Amino acid sequence: MNPRKGRQRAVHSGAESGNPRKVGREDVQASEDEPSRKALEYSKFYGGKVGFAPRVPVRSLQDFSIWYTPGVAAVSKAIEADPGLSFEYTGRWNTIAIVTDGTRVLGLGNIGPEGALPVMEGKALIYNYLGGVNALPLPVRAKSADELVSLVKAMEPSLGGVNLEDIESPKCFDVLDRLREEMGIPVWHDDQQGTAGVTLAALFNALEVTGRELRGTRIVLYGAGAANVAAERLLAQAGADPRDIIVVDSKGILHPERDDIDQLMLKNKWKYEIAIRTNGDRAKGTLKDALDGADVLVAAARQGPDAIRPDEVGVMNKRAIAFFLANPVPEMLPAEAQAAGVEVVATGRSDFPNQVNNSLLFPAIFRGALDVRAKTITDAMVIEAATELASFAREKGIGSEYILPTMVQWEVYPRVATKVGQAAVHEGVARRRLSAKESMHAAMASIERSRKVMNALRDGGVIADPPE
Amino acid sequence: MVIRHARKEDVDAISELIVRTKRLNNEFDPLFAVTPDAKERAEKYVQATLSAPENLLLVALEGRKVVGVLRAEMRERIFYEPRTEGRVTDFYILPEHRRKALGDEMIQQAAAELKSMGAEIMVADVPAQNEIANRFYVKRGFRALINQFAKRP
Repeated sequence: MNPRKGRQRAVHSGAESGNPRKVGREDVQASEDEPSRKALEYSKFYGGKVGFAPRVPVRSLQDFSIWYTPGVAAVSKAIEADPGLSFEYTGRWNTIAIVTDGTRVLGLGNIGPEGALPVMEGKALIYNYLGGVNALPLPVRAKSADELVSLVKAMEPSLGGVNLEDIESPKCFDVLDRLREEMGIPVWHDDQQGTAGVTLAALFNALEVTGRELRGTRIVLYGAGAANVAAERLLAQAGADPRDIIVVDSKGILHPERDDIDQLMLKNKWKYEIAIRTNGDRAKGTLKDALDGADVLVAAARQGPDAIRPDEVGVMNKRAIAFFLANPVPEMLPAEAQAAGVEVVATGRSDFPNQVNNSLLFPAIFRGALDVRAKTITDAMVIEAATELASFAREKGIGSEYILPTMVQWEVYPRVATKVGQAAVHEGVARRRLSAKESMHAAMASIERSRKVMNALRDGGVIADPPE
Repeated sequence: MVIRHARKEDVDAISELIVRTKRLNNEFDPLFAVTPDAKERAEKYVQATLSAPENLLLVALEGRKVVGVLRAEMRERIFYEPRTEGRVTDFYILPEHRRKALGDEMIQQAAAELKSMGAEIMVADVPAQNEIANRFYVKRGFRALINQFAKRP
């Protein structure tokens, strides 16, 4: 039996490849059932989504005298003399850990580290398949930010980078800031930088479609958790005027005289600073007050489909842009937003047009960062990545239903990785100063290798197709 | 930015800020739970402060808006020398005017005025857990004088 029978090659290009069907209210709620059933069944069948695979041949047991003692001691001594060689002589250069404390997993909340493991495994698989990155799923038992910081720092010698995931806010800001400061390898919190980066890419093209510039555009961020706190910072770095941004949370518009402002100063300094920096007109009130005359809404707030009402988006400016990023059910359904006058709508779902999906970014970000042995991932690197994502879609032809590449357009990954690597070199955070051509070559090699491994394992029957 | 003595027309704005200081204190300890009628009480407190010559009430203004307040009162120290103290009881600056040396200016002006009113030392009351306020005073040469302990009997 041909193990590839019935398998679709996930290689397409062009805007036509993202061609989701129209989805209604009932579909949104029902569409989780089938994947849920399969996920349970398949997870048990395979016993885990990722695992170690050797990178070296074992021609005979004699080879272990090279890979292990006595030969390996020479490698250890060389690394002892120059710890930087650990990036050359071991798999460290291409290894990251996906670390979570399980306190805010998907929309499920605090389900603990064991509960988070399947999610981290899934992420590791995406890192591997789309970015050629060797990612270790590592949920940990850590009660406090201090404990989490200390655990992650202790793992640094084995890693080329760290992906923080699904950590509750505001702890996640503290942990990320401290680890970025204290570690010599890139630390990335995908719920902050990843979501904000893809949002920025989507916004670049939505602005183009509606004939706007980022500077001067009035933006409302609904929700002040990980994604939008990072989005505000990234938008400002990319050229938006923070005074034109209004952040709204469950208590209404954020402004420096809100009743809870001193509480924020003590418990969430990131939100506190946003309250002071944004909202130049010092608007007060509700989401609808904020949206009055706004050009853009980025909602990363809470499950829909009725978290935002048509009359709220209805007061936005002409040719409005609205992103509803809650998963699995967006704050508002695209068709309803469009009926209320919004021109460009994006969600986190693949069955609607314009999926704002972190998976478009994180594999490429780390691919590029690892290939140049980056010490960190700066906001400038994320903005470069977002710009390249947007450029890729523009080359295919953007419109109100196509502002971002889709995951099947895999050529985008090495391109974004190259830009990230180049930005790292430019920012002075790269240990290896690769040229753009070398960066592209390195990214392609790693990504293609992962695909070849997958194909070989499937062709060889090591990875069987799932039970029917 | 102008710092001047408070006037009757400032009472409402000052009362708002006084309530904010109390709410901020509540962040540090549940024994500072703010009463529902705190605003009305604050208005009476401010009015009483304005009418008593042994009190000092300074406001900082941006344009016509009150953005900061400092209230202090003169007290006699019965058993100790120096004999008179100027005690800062309430001090609040709206968030967007912080970290711009306004606090410094207000405390310096208060020090000068309390001195001219006869104060030989200046003291300030802050919640024990308010590290920001503690650092503010220590940085300006103050030292902790009394620890106040509390529990429900």
